[in-house]
Amino acid sequence: MEETIRKNTVKYQKLLQKYIETQDEKSLYDLELISKAFIKKNILPEELINLHIQAMERIYPQLLEEYKLSMEFLLEATVFYGLALQEVDYLRQEKDVLTSEISVAANMQKTLLGTQRPEVSGLDIGAISVPAHQMNGDYHHFTKGSNGTIGIAIADVVGKGIPAALCMSMIKYAMDSYPEATMSPNKVLENLNRVVERNIDPSMFITMCYAHYLPAESKLRLSSAGHEPGYIFRAETEEFEEVRAKGIVLGVMPDATYREYELAIQKDDLIIFLTDGVSECRDGDRFIETEELLEVIRKYIDLPAQELVENVYQYFEKLQDFQLRDDFTLIVLRKEV
Amino acid sequence: MNPRSCVNIHKEWDIVGARQLGREMAKEIGFGTVDQARIATAVSELARNIYLYAKNGQVCFEYIYTNSQKGILMTAVDTGPGIKDISRVMQDGYTTSGGLGAGLPGVKRLMDEFDIESAAGEGTKIKAIKWIR
Amino acid sequence: MNLSVNVQEDSNVKVLEVSGEIDAYTAPELKETLMPLMRESGNEIEVDLENVQYMDSTGLGVFVSALKASKESGSHYTLKNVQDRVFRIFEITGLSEIIEIKAAIRGGNE
Repeated sequence: MEETIRKNTVKYQKLLQKYIETQDEKSLYDLELISKAFIKKNILPEELINLHIQAMERIYPQLLEEYKLSMEFLLEATVFYGLALQEVDYLRQEKDVLTSEISVAANMQKTLLGTQRPEVSGLDIGAISVPAHQMNGDYHHFTKGSNGTIGIAIADVVGKGIPAALCMSMIKYAMDSYPEATMSPNKVLENLNRVVERNIDPSMFITMCYAHYLPAESKLRLSSAGHEPGYIFRAETEEFEEVRAKGIVLGVMPDATYREYELAIQKDDLIIFLTDGVSECRDGDRFIETEELLEVIRKYIDLPAQELVENVYQYFEKLQDFQLRDDFTLIVLRKEV
Repeated sequence: MNPRSCVNIHKEWDIVGARQLGREMAKEIGFGTVDQARIATAVSELARNIYLYAKNGQVCFEYIYTNSQKGILMTAVDTGPGIKDISRVMQDGYTTSGGLGAGLPGVKRLMDEFDIESAAGEGTKIKAIKWIR
Repeated sequence: MNLSVNVQEDSNVKVLEVSGEIDAYTAPELKETLMPLMRESGNEIEVDLENVQYMDSTGLGVFVSALKASKESGSHYTLKNVQDRVFRIFEITGLSEIIEIKAAIRGGNE
């Protein structure tokens, strides 16, 4: 820092003198380069003013005493600005540390909560889950039982960001301990609810939908813990059918029970699961109504499942100026045979 | 040889007195204009804390010398309520925005060395040194 | 958008008039007013949501904490004048089954 000031003292003096004599733009441009170098070296405003005072005294040894005093006055005034600048710099460093920690955590979360879309002949599966910030408070997971049953879990925790993401890890670990493929969906939720209720902050809860798709019987069995309703696009009528399943959110009632619903699925029907990041999209001050969501899905209905969900996501991402307000998860399953 | 000069802080006007003494002593021993301004600002913060929170206290200055450098040591002592959570008042980044605390991180920044001792109910003692560059 | 919470004392019922949007940014304000009342014993509280057009899950979280607190303190709260859009999320989440909500008529008093 001292070094930079010393190196630039003469340069500054020359530029200043030249400018006073000719008022040329070139000296101002060179001055800009000096000030950039100073900022880079964290040279504070009071140092710069001091440099100016010294340069002026050397160029004009006969300076008015009043002028000199006024410059000292100005120097005093900038000491606090210097402090403010240092604090901003410190906060920026702190922020960088946090950001990189969070990005490490986000990567860990991706690995931890990672799930693969199962390959099932006759079933086309598409899934997308995008966090609003770095970490995801939505959870989705697929399993494939030995009898061919496909397990689908989709969950959303209150809020978003880090607290929500931490909470989600709990669901993941609890789920790992169940033989979920052989447990009925309502039992899965009842077990999870007990874990969540004991371990969650009183102001938090989780909504979740758990479903089994049974390819042999062409049936969908599902239970919902207060989760956003899903939809089935019926190929025969080309209409959407709301899948509304009743049940209280996880984490509120210690001994909640859940109902199991069963739906018949026909060829080319499309099953849709989502989180409220999808249904609560907002375009400026306007809320996206469910109808609009379904129209967007309809628009891409002929695409393969994965392309369909990606296109729907892109549509809403664009609508919200590429700033998701909430974590966004959309899963679709199409029965192809 | 090593005189110690103090200013008692009871009223707001005393902050000005402390600044003045600090600046004069800094100038005397050879600090440049910029450092004089920084030392005066640090004195202000310490004296203001005494005036605002402790009501009663003292700011003292003395020169210190080592083999290789010389500088000024300021000590601010009060018998006020003390600071319960020092790490909280030392939390950096918010003093100039009028946020938390009493500007102590700023003082730490303006000076070269900084030390604080405080106990709830027993008052606070802050020592800060600035070396001549 | 801002949220305002006014407390009206009406004989032995305290009425919280909430207006604005309840989301992650504004929910703490509601929480700060509602929770102390819920933790005191024997309070009867009505939360008037007539002027709340939007609420997200963070808002629901406040009412869930309030419900949990009420079980310990013996205080009690009800919601009234809940708008359709807001009522919908109480319904989906199943919370309308355990939180007392008075006549959910748009705009009107019961």
